[in-house]
Amino acid sequence: MDNFLFLILPLALVTFAIRLSGVVLGQRLPQEGVWARALKALPGSLIVSLVTVSLLSGGPMEWAAGCVALAVAIVTRNLLATMAAGIGAIWLLRYVAV
Amino acid sequence: MTNTLTDRQEFFGGFREILPLSFGAGIYGLAFGLLASQAYMGSLEVGVMGTFVFAGASQIIAVERVVAGAGSIVAVLAGVALNLRLLLITASIRDIFVGRPFWQVALGAHLTTDENWALMLSARARHQQAGYWYLVGAGLNLILIWVLATVAGVYFASAIPEPRALGMDFAFTAAFIAIARSLWSGRSDLIPWCVAVAVVTGLIVPGVVDASWALICGGVAGALAAGIRDNG
Repeated sequence: MDNFLFLILPLALVTFAIRLSGVVLGQRLPQEGVWARALKALPGSLIVSLVTVSLLSGGPMEWAAGCVALAVAIVTRNLLATMAAGIGAIWLLRYVAV
Repeated sequence: MTNTLTDRQEFFGGFREILPLSFGAGIYGLAFGLLASQAYMGSLEVGVMGTFVFAGASQIIAVERVVAGAGSIVAVLAGVALNLRLLLITASIRDIFVGRPFWQVALGAHLTTDENWALMLSARARHQQAGYWYLVGAGLNLILIWVLATVAGVYFASAIPEPRALGMDFAFTAAFIAIARSLWSGRSDLIPWCVAVAVVTGLIVPGVVDASWALICGGVAGALAAGIRDNG
């Protein structure tokens, strides 16, 4: 355990501090005005950013699978169906491409 | 929103509805266990790390650095950079922590990940009652699967194909596409979301900053666009 103490302990402590600081920051920000509206819009734009980051780390096949997933998400509004379609699409594209 | 569900019902709602995402986390957990064993980590260390860090991508990147021969400071910094987004994530759900005793705030904050945070917001967008206990129920399911899978991975992962070979590396991208869809509340989201995509793309493609910073900049820029636009 000693060898990894200096890896696990600081990462755990800092990560927890980050999570807790977010809660404190959220409580401190004003309840109305620009910051309140920004905070309300934050989840959507953060999730869109997450998707953008992960699509940019892939190539045309990932982008195509992303389009399939988006189409299924729009039509079904279902998490499991979208995941299945996305995973199936990328698997098939990679299988065909090889 | 009327409170018709008990805390217990909300807890089990979250616990149940996170399952597809937990499955994805489990596949990654197995892969992480294999990676950790390459860094000569034992199952106890892997279990402790999963329980107390509980941020999969940062664990993977930190241990990857160790396997690549980096020192622990470099490895920790890489993991921390990836986790800075969690500040925005817990800040954005401030309402669920209001008025709770410290142990509940600490527990809820520790159990908050991209997955259960996004799932909770998606449930709310469908007008489902989902608050603190929904998040905690889903988080508890995730941490159980994550820790079990990472520990199992130390022993068995070499027998299991890589996530990428199964297309499972796309599981979370697809999941977040579905969740973004459910958060879409109409044309007023168009500009903030386009700003987010543009900022992330503009920072990553020319290689200006690391992806973990591009993500934070994109999220904040989109949110500020929404905050400023509706001003007055």
